[in-house]
Amino acid sequence: MSRLCSPLVLALAAAAASAVDFNREVRPILAQHCFACHGMDEQARKGKLRLDLADSAHGKGKSGELAIVPGQPDKSEVIHRIFSEDPDDIMPPPEAKKPMSAKDKAVLRAWIAEGGVYQPHWAFSAPKQAPLPQAGVHPIDAFVRARLAQAGLKPSPEADRFALVRRVTLDLTGVPPTPEEADAFVQDKSPEAYEKLVDRLLASPRYGERWARRWLDLARYADTNGFEKDRPRTIWPYRDWVVKAINADLPYDQFGIKQLAGDLLPDATPDDLIATGFHRNTMLNEEGGADPNEYRFYSMVDRVGATGAAWMGLTMNCAQCHTHKYDPILHTDYYGVMALLNNADEPTYHIPAPDHAKQVAEHARKIAEAEAALPGKFPGGVAALDPKVDAWIAAEAPKASKWEVLRPAKLQTTMPKLEVQPDGFILGGGDSTKSDVYDLTFDRPLKGVTAIRLEVADHPSLPNDGPGLTSYEGPLGGFFLSELQAWHGDRRLEFGEAFATNDEEEDRISDAAAAPKAKAKAKGKAARKKNNASAALDGEMSSGWQVLGGYGQRQTAVFRFAKPTDLPAGWTLKMLFEKHFSCSLGHFRLSVTTDEQATATGHPAAIEAMLAGAAPQDRDALRMRFLETAPEVATHAKALAALRKRIPRGQPTLVMRERPPSNPRTTVRYHRGEYLSPREEVKPGVPAFLPGLPKDAPADRLTFARWLFAPENPLTARVAVNRQWQAFFGRGFVPTLEDLGYQSEAPTHPELLDWLAVEFQRTGWSMKKLHRLIVTSATYRQSSRVTPELAEKDRENLLLARGSRFRLDAEVIRDGALQAAGLLSFKMGGPGVYPPQPASVTSEGTYGRIDWKPSEGEDRYRRSLYTFIKRTAPFAMATTFDAPTGEACIARRDVSNSPLQALTLLNDEMFMEAARALGAKAMAAATDDAGRITFILRRCVTRPPAPDELKTLQAFVDAQRARKVADKDVWTALARAALNLDESIVHP
Amino acid sequence: MSRPNVTRRYFFQECALGVGKIALASLMADGALGRLAAAGSGQVSGLPHHAPKAKAVIHLFMAGAPSQLELFDHKPELAKLEGKPLPPSIINGQRYAFIRPDAAVLGPRYKFARHGQSGAELSEMIPHIASIADDIAIVKSCRTTQFNHAPAQIYMNTGFSQPGRPSMGSWITYGLGSEAKDLPSFVVMSTGAGISGGAACWSSGFLPSSYAGTRFRNTGDAILNTGTPAGIDPATQKDTIGLINAMNDRRLRLDGDSEIATRIANYEMAYRLQTSAPDLMDLSTESKETLELYGCDPKVPSFARACLLARRMVERGVRFINIYNEGWDAHSDVAGNVRNNCAKTDKASAALVKDLKRRGLLDSTLVVWGGEFGRTPMVESSVSLGRSQGRDHHPQAFSMWMAGGGIKGGQTIGATDEMGFNIVQDEVRVPDLQATILHCLGIDHERLTFRNAGLDFRLTGVEPCHVVKKLLA
Repeated sequence: MSRLCSPLVLALAAAAASAVDFNREVRPILAQHCFACHGMDEQARKGKLRLDLADSAHGKGKSGELAIVPGQPDKSEVIHRIFSEDPDDIMPPPEAKKPMSAKDKAVLRAWIAEGGVYQPHWAFSAPKQAPLPQAGVHPIDAFVRARLAQAGLKPSPEADRFALVRRVTLDLTGVPPTPEEADAFVQDKSPEAYEKLVDRLLASPRYGERWARRWLDLARYADTNGFEKDRPRTIWPYRDWVVKAINADLPYDQFGIKQLAGDLLPDATPDDLIATGFHRNTMLNEEGGADPNEYRFYSMVDRVGATGAAWMGLTMNCAQCHTHKYDPILHTDYYGVMALLNNADEPTYHIPAPDHAKQVAEHARKIAEAEAALPGKFPGGVAALDPKVDAWIAAEAPKASKWEVLRPAKLQTTMPKLEVQPDGFILGGGDSTKSDVYDLTFDRPLKGVTAIRLEVADHPSLPNDGPGLTSYEGPLGGFFLSELQAWHGDRRLEFGEAFATNDEEEDRISDAAAAPKAKAKAKGKAARKKNNASAALDGEMSSGWQVLGGYGQRQTAVFRFAKPTDLPAGWTLKMLFEKHFSCSLGHFRLSVTTDEQATATGHPAAIEAMLAGAAPQDRDALRMRFLETAPEVATHAKALAALRKRIPRGQPTLVMRERPPSNPRTTVRYHRGEYLSPREEVKPGVPAFLPGLPKDAPADRLTFARWLFAPENPLTARVAVNRQWQAFFGRGFVPTLEDLGYQSEAPTHPELLDWLAVEFQRTGWSMKKLHRLIVTSATYRQSSRVTPELAEKDRENLLLARGSRFRLDAEVIRDGALQAAGLLSFKMGGPGVYPPQPASVTSEGTYGRIDWKPSEGEDRYRRSLYTFIKRTAPFAMATTFDAPTGEACIARRDVSNSPLQALTLLNDEMFMEAARALGAKAMAAATDDAGRITFILRRCVTRPPAPDELKTLQAFVDAQRARKVADKDVWTALARAALNLDESIVHP
Repeated sequence: MSRPNVTRRYFFQECALGVGKIALASLMADGALGRLAAAGSGQVSGLPHHAPKAKAVIHLFMAGAPSQLELFDHKPELAKLEGKPLPPSIINGQRYAFIRPDAAVLGPRYKFARHGQSGAELSEMIPHIASIADDIAIVKSCRTTQFNHAPAQIYMNTGFSQPGRPSMGSWITYGLGSEAKDLPSFVVMSTGAGISGGAACWSSGFLPSSYAGTRFRNTGDAILNTGTPAGIDPATQKDTIGLINAMNDRRLRLDGDSEIATRIANYEMAYRLQTSAPDLMDLSTESKETLELYGCDPKVPSFARACLLARRMVERGVRFINIYNEGWDAHSDVAGNVRNNCAKTDKASAALVKDLKRRGLLDSTLVVWGGEFGRTPMVESSVSLGRSQGRDHHPQAFSMWMAGGGIKGGQTIGATDEMGFNIVQDEVRVPDLQATILHCLGIDHERLTFRNAGLDFRLTGVEPCHVVKKLLA
């Protein structure tokens, strides 16, 4: 963690320009010590003084003194204050507990003496390509060498061929080369050998897998919801989309636009929708009783922060609670960006299979066939059927009632948006709470009403197809009607009995640990009430009518009035939906009848109308309905019903979907960033210091996404280039990949960063071209050896006088071991897999326990990208090697070096499997010790062993043999040692 | 990224000599081994900020949230009001997880009596804790901002309700380093149904990942992968580590990367851990009397065994120990819940304090006992969930106790109103608790900061908070 600018860089900066550099030296001091009270935050501002703007700083503060007098430090109040020893005068004030160092004071004094000139922050104006310092060399080398020359350093020689092929193969594909691949390169003496290798690697499908993993750190991808329950989720199609997009070299601007706003693109394809999974990787709190809107707010906070880190290189998160202390981002700017992202629903999308239309037609044909065949299944055939149908109609008709559909004149709710559809059904959408009330007002007076019918039906726009709005924690797509009341003014209209068509659903508390207990208790209490329609009339909020969700779900409840009731104009129906999760109703229709016998017949409304004589009889429809309920063909009818419910559906994944214009979501500012302190509405927008959004486009996600990639946007390309650089060199030009703001260190190679940023855009945002450019530079190809001179002059390799040596990512280490052992599977895509790990990792200490059953066969050895990621109990090996858990957006992983890593590589079952496989392979590959040793070492570190190494390794083999260790175990042990070598897990 | 100073020093001073046993030994003594032995002199310069009273912390985390009304906060008034709702003026808009704010009051389910010279009023469910009444400081006025388990547990541990920030144990080991020669310095044990907040509760957040808590497990290896795999005999294991380090030493001399030196030391440490972890777990050296004191069956993972292991860890220099007992979430039958959990935890919690005391370790070990929030004075019942006689989550007021290093025992601080709903005296918020724990370890919570994503973060966050002076010895 280099917290300070290295002395070398500072020295270089000073050498480059004799004057004090405002951006590199002065602004960080002002930001650190002054801006909190003398910056852009009006609320926090003291003494009416701003030191972030030249005009203000050169003027008078409240005290009447001139803060900064250009060229005259002794007349500048700022200098007077920072050098003061009077506790009442000194700045920063003692209570800030951040005294300014003598060095910083001297810098400020020198700066003012030189004129106190403000310069714009380098990252906030669009990058330009400076002329190359040297013609005829690779542009990267031209810049790097110019810088080295300033420091009196020379570049290192090229790495040896084995190191080179290993390095570039690991970097571009995340998998080490096989000895054969390495030899092919080493033996290829053609001048284009290296370029050919690079092009082969860029074209490999492994490339997309390698670079997808890095992107998924930013996307905070995981396969579970996080928090207490931490249930599995299905969003791996998004992960696979990322791999596919990177392999196809989808231009980086399109790559970003699709992820932020693919749903808003004209003629959005299924892939465009899948891409919006980026911001669906936020966590979901399904703990009993959590406030869903509070956690949705936290998801939005996460989205703004991740957008800032991934694309903008700004610590947007700092402005959640107040105006940014350092960067020019107002508190309201933060919510302006949130508003841009906030107008979306979060549905599950079923990805249509390529032959979706054919599947649908096929399914419809099957249903039609089954329907056509049903009469023939009746005992005695079609001839016996008609009299039975007649008898059935005669029996059912008296139970049927004439119903009149009601259309509310006014629909008011605590949160969801309700709209009446042409068929009289009311469709709900938008957000909901744990306790929603629907107030439906009717303006047509009705006489002698005996009952109200509530039909609920599925709808494709609802979670799990509805009919309810439950989208987390409870049964998805279900609802729970706690209470139903009818009122006229303050007069309660009394209900009597109630009936429903569905079985009384056992309530399910989804709490994994509590469930068995709850069930046992339920059994013990025979008197326990069930959830049924009557329970919606009992005045007890914790009981009610419950319907579970799912495609084809249709149920009806009938609520009888205590006596025939006149409903005057303006009468209202109040529905309360209350549970420890939000459970409101999303698709329903209301009807009334004057029939005193009205009940829930279970027949579809159209059939009941025919039976009641309210509609002309459709003989075919009635006959089909008879057959659906006739015991004689129950098995066939059941099969038909099942067929109807089983529609062809594609693979589900989580996406964003812009809300309908009728129900936009407004965004407000939250005082101090607290959910319980909402304040005024904030319109969508971006911080004023950046180019504005186009005036002629709606201020929405798509416009914002396109704005990020507009040529005048100073940040996006720089952020991307800086991040790529870090992947190859272990450190970005700016070490804080997520922050190029005022607080960030100055870039080590500002001109090169800008040159590459412009080049990246100029070449169509092609990531493959950028990567090719980097790896073909001599800078990249240098030996990583740390000579004593370099160790002393540039220990951190800031100036790149050598290649960079750093530990590989967790995934690359595991994949490399499997590759060395010949076990690695290259099967791509699909649901997460379960490589072996101790059972206790997911069974102990986590509330949302899962039984980690190690995958068998090829899935055991898939690339680590495909390992199932459980947020609260992540894959142990990955955590030990610093892989993220998907709980936050990560631009830079920590690179630790710990004994637990040693234990993992030595003793973990998976690595032992690799060692055994590699040992066995060596025994099969060669008959002599030297051949076997060489085989093993080359599969782990690519290069052949040096003679002294061969001796060391042979000695180990001999020592084991001397102790009568079985031959197989000797070679396993050697393979195990080789897999543990520093060289096996390090970027060479 | 993070390269401990010592490797730099190693590189400059020792590299030319090559790595030998002597060099390695000096590395070990310097202890620059990340989490397992972060430099004993303190990772952060200037620490400790003042003379510490405690060297180690044992946090007995009563996950699920115990009912303070059945344990520490006696409210006879609730019995009088049982069955009636609280006035809305008291409830003041508080949100609840399961109940409506107008739910009826539930009286205390257990009897209370005064104990010790200090006269602490404690429930009949915790006779053993009552027996150490004069050693502990009870805080009846704790308050949190979170009313769901996972966020509240993460908040108690990290000062923030969402995953991603460093936990208290990480901050402390980051700040003070380790004194354990061959054990992790931050250990997490769990003996119950599972921790709602999950790994976020012992995460190192944005601190280097080597400061994350190490889980001690109940099945398989206590520390993952400390067991040598089948087919590798002890001699081969020793030779293997020797071979790896010899090869790495050769590479170090060729490439000059100081990280290799750290890796060599880590393999030595890993080898020692394979012995030290099982040694720690081997309770055969504990007397029968000690095992009985805790109520510990050495073979069976339990809260009692975890407490005994915690004492053994403290003896070996472990800095921060979390023991989770999950299961206090009494949405139904609070009386039964409290009875069951007290049966598991009361004796062992008290035994830990007694055992530390008689070994002279209590003065340097801070023991903290408590959950993530409290439970409502109102009853929770639900016909559809089959719940009755329970209590919902109550963030406004709950009780904890602390003992040992830096804490003045034999006192009760803070008070709630007659209903046990709101705090009326000496409010102690979660950041205050954290600041106090840090203080006992010699850390000024305002000065232990870390720069991340443009901000200087600290455990206790940005809101003003204070060390609870009354608690201090």
